[in-house]
Amino acid sequence: MDTVTIEHLTKNFRGMTAIDDLSLKIEKGKITGLIGSDGSGKTTLIRLIIGLLLPDHGKISVLGLNPETQKDELNKKIGYMPQKFGLYEDLTVIENLRLYADLKNVAHDFEKLLEFTNLKKFQTRLAGALSGGMKQKLGLACVLLGSPEFLLLDEPSVGVDPISRRDLMRMVRDLISPETTVLWSTAYLDEAHSFDTGVVLNQGKVIYQGKPYDLAKTTEEFENKVIDLMGGYRKTKSRIAENYIPKNSDVEYTVVADNLEKLYGNFYAVRNNSFKIKKGEIFGLLGPNGAGKSTSFKMMCGLLKPTSGTARIMGVDITEDPENARANLGYMAQKFSLYEALTVKQNLDFFAEIYGIHDENLKKRVDEIIDIFGFFQTRGQKSGELPLGFKQKLSLACALIHNPPILFLDEPTSGVDVITRREFWNHIKSLAQKGVTVLVTTHFMDEAEYCDRISLFYKGEAVAIGTPSALKNKVRAKSMEEAFMKLILESEK
Amino acid sequence: MIEKLKKILALIKKEFIITWMDPKSRGIIIALPIVQLILFSYAITMEVKNIDVVVVDQDNSTESRELISRFDLSPQFRNIYRVENMKQMQNKLDNKDANMGLYINNDFSTNIISHTPTDVLIITDGRQTNSAAIVSGYVSQIVSDYSQEIAPTNGVKINVVTRNWYNPNLEYRWFILTVIVAMLAAVITLILTALSIAREREMGTFDQLIVSPLSSVDILAGKTVPPLIIAMALTCVMTFVVKIFFGMPFEGSIVLFLISMFVSLLSLVGVGLYISSICRTQQQAILGVITFMMPAVLLSGFISPIEDMPVFLQYLTLLNPIRFFMVLTRGIFLKGMNFADVSMNLVPLIITATITLALACWSFKKRQN
Amino acid sequence: MKILRALVKKEILQIVRDPSSIVISFVLPLISIFIYMYGINLDFVTVNVGIKNDDNSPEIAQLANSFGHSKYINSEISDDMNDLTQKLIRSKIKGMVVIPNDFSTKLEQKQSADLMVIADGAEVNTATHLQNYILQISNQWLASSKYAQLMSPQIVNPQIRTWYNQDSNGYYFILPGSIAITMTLIGILLTALVVAREWERGTMESLLSSNVTRMHIVLGKYIPYFILGMLSMIFNLILCIGVFRVPFHGSYLVLTFVSSLFLFASMGIGLLISTVLKNQFFASQISIGIGFLPALLLSGFVFPIGSMPEILQYITRILPPRYFITFIESEFMAGTVPSIAIKSSLFLLILGVLLFWAVYKNTDMRLSND
Repeated sequence: MDTVTIEHLTKNFRGMTAIDDLSLKIEKGKITGLIGSDGSGKTTLIRLIIGLLLPDHGKISVLGLNPETQKDELNKKIGYMPQKFGLYEDLTVIENLRLYADLKNVAHDFEKLLEFTNLKKFQTRLAGALSGGMKQKLGLACVLLGSPEFLLLDEPSVGVDPISRRDLMRMVRDLISPETTVLWSTAYLDEAHSFDTGVVLNQGKVIYQGKPYDLAKTTEEFENKVIDLMGGYRKTKSRIAENYIPKNSDVEYTVVADNLEKLYGNFYAVRNNSFKIKKGEIFGLLGPNGAGKSTSFKMMCGLLKPTSGTARIMGVDITEDPENARANLGYMAQKFSLYEALTVKQNLDFFAEIYGIHDENLKKRVDEIIDIFGFFQTRGQKSGELPLGFKQKLSLACALIHNPPILFLDEPTSGVDVITRREFWNHIKSLAQKGVTVLVTTHFMDEAEYCDRISLFYKGEAVAIGTPSALKNKVRAKSMEEAFMKLILESEK
Repeated sequence: MIEKLKKILALIKKEFIITWMDPKSRGIIIALPIVQLILFSYAITMEVKNIDVVVVDQDNSTESRELISRFDLSPQFRNIYRVENMKQMQNKLDNKDANMGLYINNDFSTNIISHTPTDVLIITDGRQTNSAAIVSGYVSQIVSDYSQEIAPTNGVKINVVTRNWYNPNLEYRWFILTVIVAMLAAVITLILTALSIAREREMGTFDQLIVSPLSSVDILAGKTVPPLIIAMALTCVMTFVVKIFFGMPFEGSIVLFLISMFVSLLSLVGVGLYISSICRTQQQAILGVITFMMPAVLLSGFISPIEDMPVFLQYLTLLNPIRFFMVLTRGIFLKGMNFADVSMNLVPLIITATITLALACWSFKKRQN
Repeated sequence: MKILRALVKKEILQIVRDPSSIVISFVLPLISIFIYMYGINLDFVTVNVGIKNDDNSPEIAQLANSFGHSKYINSEISDDMNDLTQKLIRSKIKGMVVIPNDFSTKLEQKQSADLMVIADGAEVNTATHLQNYILQISNQWLASSKYAQLMSPQIVNPQIRTWYNQDSNGYYFILPGSIAITMTLIGILLTALVVAREWERGTMESLLSSNVTRMHIVLGKYIPYFILGMLSMIFNLILCIGVFRVPFHGSYLVLTFVSSLFLFASMGIGLLISTVLKNQFFASQISIGIGFLPALLLSGFVFPIGSMPEILQYITRILPPRYFITFIESEFMAGTVPSIAIKSSLFLLILGVLLFWAVYKNTDMRLSND
């Protein structure tokens, strides 16, 4: 018995094919992982399955219903968590739960869910004030209300730390009945590897469907296989790094955080945070959601005034001379923050110009970036309409466009497909070799291994600083993920 | 320096692209004001026309019919309804089927023949006192003309000879057009500026600007110039429409007009940017715009003259850019104001512009930290 | 029913969390009533006038002075024509009266004497008022002067009565009328962003995949803002009747009924903007652009609809405040006039229902293709 049957499905947007003659069956009672490169049509497929979008051609049957004509009946049987989950940020945790319970016509019995999500003591907190991981858990809890027959989750773990990610997985596995079907789209291949079935999409087509375990026994191998399926990744020399013109400077520690503190009321968001990053070093900030990484980041680049302490970039104090300090900085924010109304090329032009690249240099540089990042096809598209992974790519491109000697990257790889992630890190590592200093945060523990040094952040403080192997040795962990969990647990004591 | 200008130019270009690329946005900046300009200028008049009169003629004589026919002949009056008694008249007036009532007593003709002064009763509708006052003006004129004609002898009399300078035929449209041009330009300027920073804050793009090497003055300059240019272009288009379509005179100097427009709009841009710089969300920004715009339009002197307001409100209007903008458009269009007169009205505008832009810059810098 | 209740509750919680809607509902009426009370005067305005008297008879000097005694004129007597002209250009004065040197001679000779009024035609209203004032004052002066016996008697005298508002108190109509303008604005502003907000924040996508129907979404927006709007309306009326003491001759029941129909229609405009645009930025711009000026200028509040060209009179029919102004002025001053109340209610109801239908039809239950 299949929950979803799709035959010859096609969907076009403004002349571009998003889903291309796709046929697919999703088995009842199984967890199916949806994997694919950015823009491969994952979100569109999910939206078509539940009738939020209408197909151009082809047939879809979900739980025996036609989403085109029987959407109302279908809605009663499904739970859908969109990528940007619709929590009402100005409502509290419990108010959100009550709302979605009423919308699904189920009793207000949240004990078990609150327990599972560890949200019990935050019941009266506004959803907007929760950390990213907690938001996603609350969102999932709302979707799980009323025990839907079919659960559709669109990248629920984007931007979520490893601990919360494990919680999300546990929630789904423990709280659903054996008959429940789950369709889970994800960019984390360790997650996908643990599912019953994996579906790999590429350019709107299914290129693989089967048991992930059959494809590869280990996560690492699985990742390589998926990359091969998606066309393979060939490591080439990073042209960004090749064209990088080093800036002469005799500052040894190019980025210095000097006792940074941020106090909100009587709550320390960040507390005596100090570190020095050498020229050409990749320094990783790791930690659970809400630990104070982004707050530190914002203070480091002068977006937020520290309560005390300061930061120096290329020796320039950010609080005293912000304009000069920032001139050396390439910054990529956690949330997409380019102009959505401008096209890809217009954004690149704009950021190049405000960083002082003009006329012929501008044209040359922008063409180069378009070529390196593969924006040729999308250069005329409004950036707001791009898939998440493309937006991240564009953000990175804009941060790199003026050849900054220092890069601040806040979760650059969140929502980015596995191949692009490798490309990103190829650029980052090559740039570092050329002398670019990089400060980066990430929730991918395999990426943490690429860093020269790591500062593990928890509850506003750095609980451990050192090289990845030093940290692993410290708690005798085999992987970075294990070290992360152990170090956090240790500091709890 | 050139480097800095190029960066600001990039900011300006970005604003233009964003405002111009979306057809909805174009519609708001062009179609909305032009349609409103045409609509308002045809619709708005203070004159009261098409007045319907309800008449009770108890006398029903040649004389009474003569008086009534005077109403019929007057261009402002439309229908004459004859009813039998006061009750029916009241009914018509209550229901607003007629705008005024005329009651003629049964001794009307007898009195006229015997040259005895006699009254006719005029009833106006006090539910709209402004129209009522105008209607009673018309009626008094008609009755007194009639009275003059039937008077037995010619006595002394004062003729009030009126010359209306700048607008000899008292064309209401000329007055209102200058007002509407200024008002619509003000509305569009506020729309363009007040939401711009708040929107970038909500979208997160503002952080991206702040981490760039642009200074806050650069960013503010980038936010000031585009709406100023758009609003000035729009005002010029509206002026053109007004001149061509409505044959409105333009007595003054174009240069002075451009200067006045520039300064007026600049001070409005200042107001808009200040609102924008203190608001976190777009919702708060519209609230700010309305809280400024409603009083500014109402107290600009176009509905009700400034001299007539309580003194403290009069002082308050010194800060109202729309007030001086209107004085200047009207003065330059109709009166051909010279440089000295124009500059007198520019002073308060320049002060407002300086204050608001400085405030915007200050609160903008403060917010960053 | 349960779903609708949950949606309404959610919306009310959101209103409470972001007090800006509440601020709009109560601060705006306060500012607006204050301005209309003290800043707006539509009927008898005071005019600054320069007087130049070329006739040196003492009798005429009295006439020159008598202008200044009128409470509608601030006069300034001057012999310097250039100075007065300068002042007129600078709008320091809005007109001048010139008494020619043969004025008294003409009167002595039992002829009609000309009094010259030069008005600033750029300000049409003031010019018209000025002409009437001068006519009245000079005739009064004539009747009380030594030339009175030379006048021919006025046989037909118009006795003017102002019904519904004996003292012709302008505020009795301005304040109730202003409520219509303010409430149009509030009705639009409250609702213009609320649907767009759900689309932008992504909450709509969640709602669309739950059990919510189209009617739920529409009513879920109408009901809470209607409640808030009615509270604002009541606040307006309390200010108007209770604080500023505008006499009310009508029925509170009828007033409440028609007010609610009016609010229903005004909110429809805001919701339609929000539903169609799905974008807070454009929705804000449009609601500022059309929320205030058309209501103020085309509703018949200041400028009579009867004097507009016929086509435009039809256009005003789509404006809810048009009906409400006629109704509320009449309800306040003349008591309930059934025909007016019924006609206004009917039009408002039709308008409200049409807008509701348009909002309903435009509420998308799926994502659009772009």
